[in-house]
Amino acid sequence: MSARTALGRGKPSPLLREQRVWGWVFLSPWVIGFLAFTILPILASLVFSFTDFRLTEPESVSFVGLDNYRKLFVDPLVKVSLGVTLRFALLALPIGIVLPVALAALLDSKWLVGKPFFRTLFYMPYVVPVVSAIFIWQGVLNAQSGWLNRLLRLVGVPGPNWLDDVNWIYPALVIIGLWGIGNAFLITLASMQAVPTAFYEAARVDGASAWARFRHITLPMISPVIFYNLVLAVIGLMRYFEVPFILSNGTGRPGDSTMFFNIHFYKTSFVFFDMGYGSALAWLLFVITMVFTGLLFYSARYWVFYAAGEVR
Amino acid sequence: MAVARGAPAYPTIGGSYANTAPHYRRGLRRMGLYGTVTLFASLVLTAFLMPFAYMLVTSFKDRDQIVASATGPILPVDPLTVEVGGRQVPVYRVPIDGEVRELALVRPGRRESVFVDPEDPAGAEVVWEGAWRTLKPVYVWAPRTGNFAAVWNGIAFPRLLFNTAFIAFTGMVGTLVSCVMVAYAFARFPLPFKGAMFMVLIATIILPKQVLLVPTYAFFDAIGWTGTWLPLIVPHFFANAFNVFLLRQYFMQLPRELDEAAMIDGAGPLRVLTSVIVPQSYPVLVAVGLFHIVFAWNDYFEPLLYTLGRPDLQPLSVGIQQYNFIYSQQPHLIQATALLGMVVPVALFFFTQRFFMRGIVITGVEK
Amino acid sequence: MTAALAVLAGAALAQPVTITWFVGLGAGAQPEQQAAQDAIVERFNAEHDDIRLEIVYVTNEVSVTTLSTLIATGEAPDIVGPVGGAGSAAFAGNFLDLTPLIESTGYDLSQFPEAAVENQRTDEGLIGIPFASFPAFLYYRPALFDEAGLEYPPAEIGAPYVLDGQEVPWDIDTLTEVAKRLTVDANGYDATEPEFDPTQTVQWGFVNQWAGAGAARQNVTLFGPGLLVDEAGNAQMPDNWREGWRWYYDAIWTHHFMPSADEDGSDLLAAGNPFESGNVAMAQSHLWYTCCLSGTEWDAAALPAYDGEVTARLHADTFRIMRQTDNPEEAFEVLTYLTGPASMDLLAVYGGMPTRPGDQAAFFAALDEKYSQGVNWDVARAHVAFADVPSHETPMPNHNRANDRLDQFKSLLDSQPGLDVDAEIDRLIADLQVLFDEAR
Repeated sequence: MSARTALGRGKPSPLLREQRVWGWVFLSPWVIGFLAFTILPILASLVFSFTDFRLTEPESVSFVGLDNYRKLFVDPLVKVSLGVTLRFALLALPIGIVLPVALAALLDSKWLVGKPFFRTLFYMPYVVPVVSAIFIWQGVLNAQSGWLNRLLRLVGVPGPNWLDDVNWIYPALVIIGLWGIGNAFLITLASMQAVPTAFYEAARVDGASAWARFRHITLPMISPVIFYNLVLAVIGLMRYFEVPFILSNGTGRPGDSTMFFNIHFYKTSFVFFDMGYGSALAWLLFVITMVFTGLLFYSARYWVFYAAGEVR
Repeated sequence: MAVARGAPAYPTIGGSYANTAPHYRRGLRRMGLYGTVTLFASLVLTAFLMPFAYMLVTSFKDRDQIVASATGPILPVDPLTVEVGGRQVPVYRVPIDGEVRELALVRPGRRESVFVDPEDPAGAEVVWEGAWRTLKPVYVWAPRTGNFAAVWNGIAFPRLLFNTAFIAFTGMVGTLVSCVMVAYAFARFPLPFKGAMFMVLIATIILPKQVLLVPTYAFFDAIGWTGTWLPLIVPHFFANAFNVFLLRQYFMQLPRELDEAAMIDGAGPLRVLTSVIVPQSYPVLVAVGLFHIVFAWNDYFEPLLYTLGRPDLQPLSVGIQQYNFIYSQQPHLIQATALLGMVVPVALFFFTQRFFMRGIVITGVEK
Repeated sequence: MTAALAVLAGAALAQPVTITWFVGLGAGAQPEQQAAQDAIVERFNAEHDDIRLEIVYVTNEVSVTTLSTLIATGEAPDIVGPVGGAGSAAFAGNFLDLTPLIESTGYDLSQFPEAAVENQRTDEGLIGIPFASFPAFLYYRPALFDEAGLEYPPAEIGAPYVLDGQEVPWDIDTLTEVAKRLTVDANGYDATEPEFDPTQTVQWGFVNQWAGAGAARQNVTLFGPGLLVDEAGNAQMPDNWREGWRWYYDAIWTHHFMPSADEDGSDLLAAGNPFESGNVAMAQSHLWYTCCLSGTEWDAAALPAYDGEVTARLHADTFRIMRQTDNPEEAFEVLTYLTGPASMDLLAVYGGMPTRPGDQAAFFAALDEKYSQGVNWDVARAHVAFADVPSHETPMPNHNRANDRLDQFKSLLDSQPGLDVDAEIDRLIADLQVLFDEAR
């Protein structure tokens, strides 16, 4: 940044050019990989969306123009699945952002004895494979014989039908999702380690309370990673698939409440074999997510603090 | 408070206790804080791990015990049985004639059931009136420790473990090296259209894997990589958007003063990366490494697709599915396999904890 | 020069043709089954120089996705199987008509009953050689009947049942009453008694085992055969099936002798495997259930009649050649091997009754070794004569989507009390009509 401002506008300085060259050098693995592995499948799926490609009849594919995109507007399941995703997001997103931070703070607290054990045990469920986790949760959340309701009954609370009641299925999905909090809290923890302790000491000398230190030092300093969690959570919501699909067997039950957008896409492409329309659904998902992600990135300048400053 | 002149500043027996109160108070307060926070964390942990306890307990049962524990004891137990007339008959605690006796249920019935004394199976029958389903069976501790051995042999566990570890660790090395480089480029260099390129990077995360499945498989098939591990490892050597995004965020938390100090000392960009950025980033690097390992450890569908017909190449995540056959699911074996498979990643996490302790990170100001 | 070319050509011809056999659309992908199938593949390869058979196992949940991906990328396998009506309907249009190969090789179809051969004929032609037959019948647990003081279900189709000392016909109404008496709560009260508490059920009277995802129509075949499409191609719900769904819904939510979705998923019913758990007295299922049913405490009996008629669903599994194969003749040779010399071994693996009448005795003898209690196989076998025609697996227009809508319907009935079943059926028909119209 200083190179350009120091020498004024006009031709980029040799220093700047050298910086750019180095930048490309370090960027090259991604560029190569993108061109080799990523761009072709993405373009292919875009092309599919303009055809009537059926998976089981690849030879008889033909161009259909914007038909698939027109269908997006009349497909009732598009509205349903977007509504499902939105309603679930209202519950899951705040919890998914706040809890990893709270947990990381707890597991970083200097008053906690045995931190390696606590952290390992909180991380552990993240490592459980999905097939095993589904059995665990079907077992634990079962209204009759599940441990959760049996525990609730012990204290006199009648447990709801977590998996079959439209009012409780989203809390159930959030609970299942929380179990995999290990990764989110780990990277928040890593981010907390990068906060220079000198800041905390200075604040303590000034008489700031623990909460004030957290609010005015920790949170801003780790805001880049909170931002990361937020963007990934929004993207993840649109991609949410495996758990609800296996739990409801793809039927969207109870009612339509687990017909998430990605499940609609998956069934269209791999159960009904309609890859052409499926690809159009996928690109609708892409556009919607990009819009939200773009908004998030735009908002970042108001609340995300980068200690390194922006690089011009 | 009176201070005897010449008295020591620490409490002594017979001396003045004047100086002890603040020490004690601070000490007690300290212990109280340690205790409260640790206790709170333990309670949260207990609730959090309740499903894991279910997993653990299930892995020591067989199917009949799982069914029985739906309404009965949650630990792996078997009902005590005795042999009566050539078959095994369960023993119950029966309240009869004012006392509770342990009797073997020979002929259950709706309103009355027939029991015999287990000590004397051929002896007199005892008719008891009532619903036998309300009786408590006598249990015997019977964990099925053989589940783990069955799984170890049943799916050739060592081979699958090796496959999984190989795929995961080579991928991890590739992703760490390449993602650090790319994130460094985004975080520290003035590239043209950097913002746009970064959005393209983010965009590649958005499309779900299933969308790109068919063209990706067609591509790898066309270059002959199906039936090998190459599609599962090589792409990770070319950076992956999740990790690049995370590392870029983290690098942008690091102030530039140290960079600049090193550059003034004559360090080139590579030197700055290896001796300034990386040492400040151990926690996030470990996090990224672990993230990749766990991802590769449990990734299921693509490894299945690319190792079709090559069971010797399959990782654990494919092997565990064999117990999930829709018409004879064996949850106890699934849990046993999952537990065995989790040992390595969890142990890895535990032993890398030292990278997350304060002080390991050189944040410059306290060097 | 020509001699050299001839040698080269000969060498090229001597390369064995690779035939890929895809297992996973139906049974066959379990660990215990894999060993037996691997052995058969080895035997085949040892006996054939010109063909190399390779086998691929894919678990059920991902077999459709995997197979469709393979087809889409031009990597379709040559043979799929064992696969039944449901799996075939999902991939309708992808199977090779075997008629030309049967004619050119002179394969003798008369070794099978004609009905079995016709069962393999669809719009695409004859897409399979009869292999395994799986009639449905009633599985029951004698011990639970003893405990309730009830007579066992009839051992012969059409025989009467003795209830409270009186002879009554063994029909749906009798089944309902018997099932209610066999549904018990934790306090020992059964579903006919006022003190019965349905939230504490520990034993259920009846279940349609594994008539779930993709198999919704299996739940009403007790009420006779039916088609959801009329001759004009419009959606319909035949009256007997409408009554069947009403009975099904009442069985779960009014009489409580069938488990609801949540109860079915509980550990008490082995998480979706109710009869195996030992807590269900009667189950309607097919002969293929013997692949996976363990223990000796069960027997076979006759299905109840509706309106004087007994209807037993029939599943017929076989192997099919994908139409995308590059080597139809070699694939056909493998096919005839699997359904011929290797058939007895394979049928033992899958629990399938041979369709060839002459092979059936040996098959049941092998089953008797597994089930030493002595199961009444005669009644099981006799249900073949009562097969539902038209089959409940008949492909519908826009089949995959129509079947999916049916799944949603059944799933709704399984999990939501207080529904108006007739209204839900009407909604189903309306939605099916839209789907059928799309496919015209």
